[in-house]
Amino acid sequence: MVIRRLLLYLKPYQKRFWIAFAALLLATGADVVLPVIVSHFIDHYLVPRTFDRDTLLLLGGSFLLLQFLSAGLHYYQLFSFQTIAQWVIRQLRIDVFAKVQHLGLSFFDRTPDGSLVSRITNDTEAIKDMYINVLSSFMQNFIFIIGVFIAMFVLDVRLALWCLILLPVSLTLMQGYRRLSSKVYRISRQKLAQMNAKLNESIQGMNIIQSLRQEARLRREFGSLNEEHYRAALKNVKLFGLMLRPATQLLSVLATVAVLNFFGFESFMGTVKIGVLYGFLNLLDRIFEPVNQMMMRLSQLQQAVVSAERVFELLDRTEYAPQKQGEKNPVITEGRIEFANVSFSYDGKNDVLKNISFVAEPGQTVALVGHTGSGKSSIINLLMRFYPVERGEIKIDGHPLQTYDDQELRSKIGLVLQDPFLFVGDVKSNIRLHNESITDEQIKEAAQFVQAAPFIEKLPRGYEEPVVERGATFSSGQRQLISFARTMAIHPKILVLDEATASVDTETEEAIQAALQKMRQGRTTIAIAHRLSTIQDADLILVLHRGEIVERGSHQELLAMKGLYHKMYLLQTYGSAVEV
Amino acid sequence: MSIFKDLWWFFKLEKKSYSLGILTLVMLALLHLFAPYAVRVVVDKIEAGTLTVEDLLLWTTLSLVVGLATYCFGFLWRIMLFGASNRLGKLLRNRLYEHFTRMSPRFFHQRRTGDLMAHATNDIQAIVATAGEGVLTLADSIITGGIVVFTMAFFIDWKLTVIALLPMPLMAWATSKYGSMLHKRFHKAQEAFSHTNDKVQENISGVRVIKAFGQEEYEKKEFKKLLDDVVEKNIAVARIDALFDPTIILVVGVSFFLTVAYGSFGVVSGEITIGELTQFTIYLGHLIWPMLAFGWLFNIVERGRASYDRVEALLHIPPDIADRPDAVDQVPSGEVEYRLKSFSYPESDKMVLKDIFVRVKQGETLGIVGKTGSGKTTFLRLLLREFDAEPGSIRIGGIPVTDYKLLRLRQAIGYVPQDHVLFSATVAENIAFGKPEATQEEIEEVARLACIHEDILHFEHGYETLVGERGVTLSGGQKQRISIARALLLDPEILILDDSLSAVDAKTEHLILEALRKNRKQKTTLISAHRLSAVEQADQIIVLENGRVIERGTHQELMQQNGWYKEMYERQQLESLVAEGGGTVGHPTTSPLS
Repeated sequence: MVIRRLLLYLKPYQKRFWIAFAALLLATGADVVLPVIVSHFIDHYLVPRTFDRDTLLLLGGSFLLLQFLSAGLHYYQLFSFQTIAQWVIRQLRIDVFAKVQHLGLSFFDRTPDGSLVSRITNDTEAIKDMYINVLSSFMQNFIFIIGVFIAMFVLDVRLALWCLILLPVSLTLMQGYRRLSSKVYRISRQKLAQMNAKLNESIQGMNIIQSLRQEARLRREFGSLNEEHYRAALKNVKLFGLMLRPATQLLSVLATVAVLNFFGFESFMGTVKIGVLYGFLNLLDRIFEPVNQMMMRLSQLQQAVVSAERVFELLDRTEYAPQKQGEKNPVITEGRIEFANVSFSYDGKNDVLKNISFVAEPGQTVALVGHTGSGKSSIINLLMRFYPVERGEIKIDGHPLQTYDDQELRSKIGLVLQDPFLFVGDVKSNIRLHNESITDEQIKEAAQFVQAAPFIEKLPRGYEEPVVERGATFSSGQRQLISFARTMAIHPKILVLDEATASVDTETEEAIQAALQKMRQGRTTIAIAHRLSTIQDADLILVLHRGEIVERGSHQELLAMKGLYHKMYLLQTYGSAVEV
Repeated sequence: MSIFKDLWWFFKLEKKSYSLGILTLVMLALLHLFAPYAVRVVVDKIEAGTLTVEDLLLWTTLSLVVGLATYCFGFLWRIMLFGASNRLGKLLRNRLYEHFTRMSPRFFHQRRTGDLMAHATNDIQAIVATAGEGVLTLADSIITGGIVVFTMAFFIDWKLTVIALLPMPLMAWATSKYGSMLHKRFHKAQEAFSHTNDKVQENISGVRVIKAFGQEEYEKKEFKKLLDDVVEKNIAVARIDALFDPTIILVVGVSFFLTVAYGSFGVVSGEITIGELTQFTIYLGHLIWPMLAFGWLFNIVERGRASYDRVEALLHIPPDIADRPDAVDQVPSGEVEYRLKSFSYPESDKMVLKDIFVRVKQGETLGIVGKTGSGKTTFLRLLLREFDAEPGSIRIGGIPVTDYKLLRLRQAIGYVPQDHVLFSATVAENIAFGKPEATQEEIEEVARLACIHEDILHFEHGYETLVGERGVTLSGGQKQRISIARALLLDPEILILDDSLSAVDAKTEHLILEALRKNRKQKTTLISAHRLSAVEQADQIIVLENGRVIERGTHQELMQQNGWYKEMYERQQLESLVAEGGGTVGHPTTSPLS
């Protein structure tokens, strides 16, 4: 099943594939014809000692020509199969990557980053090994064996028929080895995995092991796993020795002896063609190597199948990101946001949002405050359409959120994340983000607007300053300013702010606050605030607790209520005095 | 090839296996000569018409015997050589593990777990390959190559041998040339691959930004570009890689041609027989493998060399915390005393602790509080000798901790760390980790003390429930309580709780502390905490800031000082009110602290 699906990936390259296959056939043909020429020479010219110069030149010439042809064809087929494998894996990788791009955040929340990366890169790499090594090796060796048999039939039909017995014998050997070895192999892999797990765990918990004085016991436990692994490995060596190379060597001796006897007895009854004898011995000598080769590749095949299963499992996922519904193409012009009785749950069991209703009029700022886990981020996740709205309704400018086109939504709602994420590239590319319609001039304007320009222009290479992985060379404040500029460059109608908790130096902090103030002007803003001081001028503050809006109003109204907001406010003024 | 010199100690250790293995290889090489010889004799007799049934029977029997011997020898050397090399892997792995168990936390902090794992897995695998396949290839190509060439030259015809071997150096030259070209291109291909790896990593970490800015299509395009680069670089590799086989085919083919052509003259002039010529060509076939193997050997040895150096370097790092030669062999007990002028971590100038003078009488409880990074954990780690401070600055029962045997010191101290470490085993085994022989009653008793017994009973398999990656997922609070139970089981002279109640709710914290007080009379307890309620009942509390003691006293005394402690205490009370919802949604407002 998995293998068939893997082979389907060859379809776009079938022309090249079949040409390479034909080259392989021809090359193999040449390989088997070569000993036939030599045997013809021995029988018809060397033994009777009749040397005709022209014929000999022809024979010698065609031998060399065929030899070069075979080498050339082999080069072509080897290169072609490797190239095809590269293209196939490229396609597979593109498919998985594209698939992942369209999966929803609910998928990412549940899947560890590491395992996802390893599926897209390492697992596909293991599959590549199969295309390069296993596929071509199997075909080549299979064709070679067939070629050898054809040559045998040309030399002597009766003897060739007898030699056919070799096929079921080696096949049985192969099957037997596969069955036995897969069990042993699995045990040895398993022991190795257990050993590594133990090692990993021990390294991470060594101080506990030491403080509980269990070093000796764990050494013993590790030692016994190590011993078991060694035994399994040795068993594998034994199986290999019993059933593979030494066994095929024995088989080859038996076949040689049989051929000798065949000709020996033949010679008692009449004359024997020495050339045919020579040809058979030569062919028999060559037939066992392909069998060995194929057996060696079996474990690689198994590994590739396991990897392919994992990749296909990912390709078959259906947790897509929420998509546009309906035929209409509404446009965001005002930026009025309305939540009506929205409830939401990530796992289908516990509601993280319960009956959330509020309206943000165009240009207004609505601030969300509350303890960790109160549901602030979930509101933003829904508004950004990272998750589908299941109960209740969210409307922008009177149209349900799900009727908007992705493009419209992404270009009109600007998100500023708590942890500003920078991409590898330069400052400019981080502000522009592939959007070719943004000019360099506009990038500078945006940077100017959020007051990022002063520090960017001080960089050695200004807007071309390289950005390394995760923007590690910039301070967290600078990263925030760059991400502000990125958001402002698209001139969003609606601004979604997830205020950073990370502390930055006072100077940058002032720049950030001033920038935020400016950014909010004329835009509907939904802001998560950790510091109440930054949202005192908000038009509406929603106080969330365990998924519910427990208080709402302006800063002054909320303080007068002497409720949760009041306590939080006290706590924060305390906080600045005590400083934690 | 110097790696073989470095591994000599092991070859000596496994003298028997290696000498027997190599001897078997020699025997095998000799036996391999037999079949072509038998063929030659029989072919010659057939040609001459002098073959008899007896001859045939004789050579058949001999061939079969030799064939069986080949089979046995082929089996034998594998067991000998590969058995030994796997034993080397086992040995090195055990050594490495043992070495790890002797290292102090500093060693593990300086290195990434992934790197240490790589040494124990990939590096050892490469060394095993050197001691197994490496030795085999070296021995086999020398033995087989030598014997075959010798036989061809001395028993058949030396002139023919020279002619046949003429093209062979070409093959050696070509393959080594390809090898170095391949190496460079392969490196570039690897680099391209690692770029795609980085891209995928970035894409997945930045998924929110990508979705928020609708960048999915661009990301796909960029990924495609990177993949095109990978394909291009790999095709460059394939261009060279595909040269190997055809070159060998060609060289061997030419060699065959020369043999048959030149040999025919010999046959005509009567210098050699047709049988000998046939035999010769079979020998020629036997030479291909040693030629190929030599190139391969280089590869194995190169990798083995680098890996062996890495593992050796690791094994030669001495443990920085160890017993003194005249260490006291007695379990420490009595007053805990700090007289510490200053402490900074090795390879760091930053002072972590300064002027710490604290005495904790036997049976007392010390509370340590302060901001994150104020030195609380360092304070506790010094007592455990995870790091060593100035000699004599920390004493238990009047004797410096550095003068006790490490094992004895650890016997006296029960340690519950900040980051709770549990092992992949059952809950019961985890609690009994420090005392594997503990009875179920003992285990349950400490579980009750740590208020985790009820939780465990609710797990699917109770105390036999598996913990860890493949087991049940525990909450932070549950992990902490299991860690506490684990430490309590040893009934230690001194118990250290390093902020180990942080994830436990206030009510449970109170119960656990109560239980500790009842069960640990006469025993010393050191508690560090963020939440002040955990140290409220301590006999003595110190407040650390930037490594110095800024306030000290009992809870009552500290509350009167109007300092950091008091402010923090009030603030935390307010915090717990907010966490409870501040009473606005009808939740009970009673705080366990008030």
